[in-house]
Amino acid sequence: MKALNLLIVFLTGALLIYGTLDMPDFGDPNSPASLHVSPEYLQNIIQDTATPNAVTSLLADYRGYDTMGETTVIFTAGIACILLLRTMRKE
Amino acid sequence: MKEHAPVLIVVFPIMFAFITPLLGWIRKSLCYPWVILALSLSTICSLITLEEVMTGGVIHYYLGSWLPPWGIEYVVDHLNAMMLVIVSGAALLVAIYSRRSIEAELPGKMVYFYTIFLLQTTGFLGIVVTGDMFNLYVFLEIASLAGYTLIAIGEDGAPLASFRYIIMGTVGACFYLLGVGYLYMVTGSLNMADLATIIPLISDSKVVLTAFAFFMAGIAIKMALFPLHVWLPDAYTRAPSTSSALIAPLMTKISVYVMIRIFFTVFNPSFTVDVLPATDILLWLGTIAIFGGAIMALAQTDFKRMLCYIVVAEVGYMVGGIGVANSIAMQGAVLHLLNDAVMTLGLFIVAGIVTYQMKGHLLSDFNALFRKMPLTMVTFVVVALSVIGVPPTCGFFSKWYLLQGGIMAGAWGFVVALLLSSLINIILFFRIFELGYVFQSDGSHHDHGHGGFIHEAPASMLLPSVVVALGILAIGIYNQVIINNIITYVIPKF
Amino acid sequence: MIELIAGKYNYWIYIILMMIGFYAMIGKRNMVKKVIGMNIFQTSIILFYISIAFKKGATLPIIRETADHVAAAVEVSQYINPLPHVLMLTAIVVMVATLGVAIAILILIYRRYGTLEEDEILKKVKS
Repeated sequence: MKALNLLIVFLTGALLIYGTLDMPDFGDPNSPASLHVSPEYLQNIIQDTATPNAVTSLLADYRGYDTMGETTVIFTAGIACILLLRTMRKE
Repeated sequence: MKEHAPVLIVVFPIMFAFITPLLGWIRKSLCYPWVILALSLSTICSLITLEEVMTGGVIHYYLGSWLPPWGIEYVVDHLNAMMLVIVSGAALLVAIYSRRSIEAELPGKMVYFYTIFLLQTTGFLGIVVTGDMFNLYVFLEIASLAGYTLIAIGEDGAPLASFRYIIMGTVGACFYLLGVGYLYMVTGSLNMADLATIIPLISDSKVVLTAFAFFMAGIAIKMALFPLHVWLPDAYTRAPSTSSALIAPLMTKISVYVMIRIFFTVFNPSFTVDVLPATDILLWLGTIAIFGGAIMALAQTDFKRMLCYIVVAEVGYMVGGIGVANSIAMQGAVLHLLNDAVMTLGLFIVAGIVTYQMKGHLLSDFNALFRKMPLTMVTFVVVALSVIGVPPTCGFFSKWYLLQGGIMAGAWGFVVALLLSSLINIILFFRIFELGYVFQSDGSHHDHGHGGFIHEAPASMLLPSVVVALGILAIGIYNQVIINNIITYVIPKF
Repeated sequence: MIELIAGKYNYWIYIILMMIGFYAMIGKRNMVKKVIGMNIFQTSIILFYISIAFKKGATLPIIRETADHVAAAVEVSQYINPLPHVLMLTAIVVMVATLGVAIAILILIYRRYGTLEEDEILKKVKS
């Protein structure tokens, strides 16, 4: 059983490392992730959102819907803990 | 107001879920009508969206009015619209059914249960309607967390089953997130339509192949594709009746929908079918799933556990139908998404009614039930005939298209599996019919509760099962209408 | 070979960390160790994403503004990519929420069986 687990872990790791061979280098300023969508973010945030911090403006304005989802996740976890752990007093 | 219908489908359950604990603090009995109101509004909005898509084509809704790919967008095409109606309609029916069941199984936990119920429905609806990869992950996690909770409050052994589901489900979601990360690294975008234009330009990159493999592995765990189905039987059997009636019809079908989205909209069909042997692998896994699910179902003595293995086999039908990769089999697989959701909903509602009356869900609890609960048993017979595949119920038509597609492509293993599983389903259900009709007068049946006098189920539980049975017949009779107006637009160009 | 390692070493380190967490999740028999492994796995995915955002010689993505909300000229390669950081803020929250629900379920299991070792629980269930 231990051998099977080790085999699965090695295969997954090998597949992941195989995938890294074509990746852009660490810290490359010309990688596709830095050239496609994020330059327009950095250039437009002052006139669109008047916030100098790019991460704040992305989190609260451009992708604000994901932030609402994240708040819902926290709420779900809180209500889940109440539902699971609170023992009802015997009436 | 009509142009905001796609987002209102998700917003109504979330906002109503936030207010439910306050409402329950004021008065507990208000929660049930509140939940029904939320899901009715959501169902009305999804029907409006379906009608708009059928008359006007694909809907693009920009959240916050930011253009994609800089903002999140909701894309509703025919497949989406059909799934939205299925999810919100099924949740509404389960909500109507749930009141007596929750009073009996989970006394005192009603308020918080309904909150998590609404949040679970939000998660499902959010997964189906979105057009952005990371937004799908967020709503997948909302649905998963709510699901772990809804399962863990069940009968003895439920927390253990839920813990195994947590471990496997988190591995699946993390693999999905890894896939999104790998794709983002070489494309720079998270929007599904944008990715569909960029990926063909880099389709021989090792990163794209690895991302595809991790998507397939992650979604296979969530979909309970054999051999990764081991979390499903324990989890759905031990959960309370309402939880399994909500989660079992929907979670696996939504994962199949996500697979169709990723395989045919984000990566285009020629990549999935030709560059990688992905559809061949899916065909083999689907065939093995059908055999495995059907054979394990024969060995069960617990009714709900038998249903869980039937669910595993039904996932095999859909995955195999996608794996055959021609238009007719794809038509059968998408029609089976609709049919299987309705059939599984009916089966688990009947299981819940039997649990409510007989305080147990073993096969032996069906003893002489036809005389005591005639209307419930009639609906059970209709659903069972649909699972077997008898015309004019809807199950026959989707099996027929899958068989046709399999024969045309020469996938003989799949064809044999379909026919064999129909035979095994006949054995499974006729066993129960025989138990139900014949009364064991030697007193060997267990008398769990009610002092021996079992009567027909209460109206709030009976109404959804009757609606499901009528729906099965209606979908079967009008299936050509559904295919011509909705499903033909969904099939990718192979 | 040296350029390969110099260009990709950060991804390999995070992948090794991911596999340590993954092995703990599927290989260990104690449930608390499985939850710790889950935490390590998710944390290493978060670190992986953050390392995508880095650019050599770049600084934090806070744009200096002159008066009247008019931006100074923005040279994009001087600021790191903000988008993976935003995604990972959400992923960290999801990770913590999942950890909370997992530990609540572990408490329920402990109350019922008195132990948190998987093989002992299976023996109790079978008997």
